[in-house]
Amino acid sequence: MLKIIFGDVENAVYHPPTYFDNQYEDEWITDPLAVAMIKEIDQSEVVAVHLIQSPVLGPISTKEISGGVKTLILMAFDESGRIFNASACGDNCAKWIVEIGKRKDLTINLHHVMDFSSVPTFEAVMLNTGLAVHSYGEYLEEALKIKER
Amino acid sequence: MKGKYHIVVQNNRLRYELDIRRNITIIRGDSATGKTRLIALLEQASLFGDGSGVEVHCERPVRTLGGKDWNLVLPNIHEKIIFLDEESRFVKSQEFAAAIKTSSNYFVIITREDLPNLPYSVDEIYGIHSSGKYRDLRRTYNELYRIYRADAFTDEQKPETVVAEDSHSGYQFFQEICGENEIACISAGGKSNLKTIAGKLGDEPALVVADGAAIGSEMNELYQLMRHKPTVKCYLPESFEWLILKSGLIDGKAIKDILNHPEDFIESREYFSWERYFTELLVEYTQDSYLKYNKSRLNEAYLNDREKQAILSVMKGVNWQMNRPNS
Repeated sequence: MLKIIFGDVENAVYHPPTYFDNQYEDEWITDPLAVAMIKEIDQSEVVAVHLIQSPVLGPISTKEISGGVKTLILMAFDESGRIFNASACGDNCAKWIVEIGKRKDLTINLHHVMDFSSVPTFEAVMLNTGLAVHSYGEYLEEALKIKER
Repeated sequence: MKGKYHIVVQNNRLRYELDIRRNITIIRGDSATGKTRLIALLEQASLFGDGSGVEVHCERPVRTLGGKDWNLVLPNIHEKIIFLDEESRFVKSQEFAAAIKTSSNYFVIITREDLPNLPYSVDEIYGIHSSGKYRDLRRTYNELYRIYRADAFTDEQKPETVVAEDSHSGYQFFQEICGENEIACISAGGKSNLKTIAGKLGDEPALVVADGAAIGSEMNELYQLMRHKPTVKCYLPESFEWLILKSGLIDGKAIKDILNHPEDFIESREYFSWERYFTELLVEYTQDSYLKYNKSRLNEAYLNDREKQAILSVMKGVNWQMNRPNS
C-alpha cells in the first residue's frame, strides 16, 4: 500500500541521492526491479554491481545513476524505516513508486504535488488527512486541499 | 543585474546551452535529464578552473551555491549567475527569499518544489532535454525547454466564468467586460487562491487570468488541475499593466522597445518580479494623460470602447464574444 505524506516529517530523508551514495547495498543494484528501473529511467544497463553502461556517459559507477532512480531503489530496498522525499523524483518515476507500493507498505514524503496521471490505476492513503484515494483525480483533489508542502 | 545571458557548459561528452534572462529561473522535470550533472560540472569548473576540463562560457561569472553557510557567502557575491541544486533545502525559506530580493545576482534553482516565497515567472520554468542541434557523435547536446507553453492554455470557447487573480484595477476591468458578455467574474484575491476557486467550479468553461510574471509557484498545481479538468483554461500575461502597455494605447517607441526585451531594462536589485516594473512604467507614462493609471482603482477611461478593444485585442486566443451595439 502506498502512503503519502506532504510537508516536513520526522525520520524523512530530504535528499535521498546523498543517503543512497552512503548506504546502498550491492545486492540492491542487480535485483531485477532495480535493473528495470535503471533501464527505463536512465536508459542504462546494469553490467555488474559496480558498473552501469550509460548511453550518454559510457561506463559509470553506481553512484552516477540519476537521483530519481537512487530514490526509487531506496524506497524499494532500504529497511531502515526512513521515509524518502519523492520530490527528488521526476514524474517519470511515478509508475515505479506505485509499483513499489504494490509490493510493500511504502510511505513517501512529498514537498510538491507529484503528477501521477500517467499511472493507469492509482490508489494511496493521504496521511495528512487519513483519506484513501482510488484515482489520480481523487488524489489531486485531496492534495490541493492539504496546506503542507 | 540586467540583461539576457547565454551560458555554455561542456566537457568532452556533454554540452549544455542555456539562456537566462530574469533574476529567478527554475529547472525541473523528469529524472535522468542531466540536472545534477550540470551542477557537478559547474562545481568542478569553480574548484579547478581550466584544469577541470570543464569549459564554462558566459558574459558573467557563473558559480554554484550550497551548504549551511550559504547566507554568509551570498552577501559577498555580486553580478554573477548562481546555480543551486535541489539538495539546497534553504531555497524555500523566507530568509533566502529576503536575501535574493535585492540581490544583484541571477539565480538558477533546480527544484520540483513550488517555492511560494519566490515570485518567478511561468516563462522561466524549464526542463532539460537532449537536442540534435549539433552533429557530434561523441557529445550529447542538452538545452532548456519551457515546461509551460502559454499557447496550450487557452481555447476558442467563450468562458462562462472568469477568475481574476487581481482584486484591484485588473479585476475591475474584467468585471466590466464579463458583465457586458454575461460571464461571471470572480476575484481570487491572490494567486494562492486560484486553484482552490478553479477547482470548485462546475463543468462550465472557465478562464483564469493571472500575472504570469509571478505565477510560477502555482503552476505545477494549476497545470495539473487544467489537465484534469479541461474546462479550466489560463491566460497568463506578464500582468494587467503589461496588457495595457502592449495594447498600443500609450504611444511611443520607448514602450515598444522595452516590451520587446524587458530584461535589458529591469534591474534585478530593484524589481523582485517584473510586474512591479510594468506597473511603475504605466504609472509614469500615463501620469499627465486621460489614461492616468491607478492600480487600486481603475480609471474609467480604460472602459471606453476604443481603449477596451485595444486591451482585449492583446489577449489572443480568448473568446469574449463581445456584444457590440448594432451599427
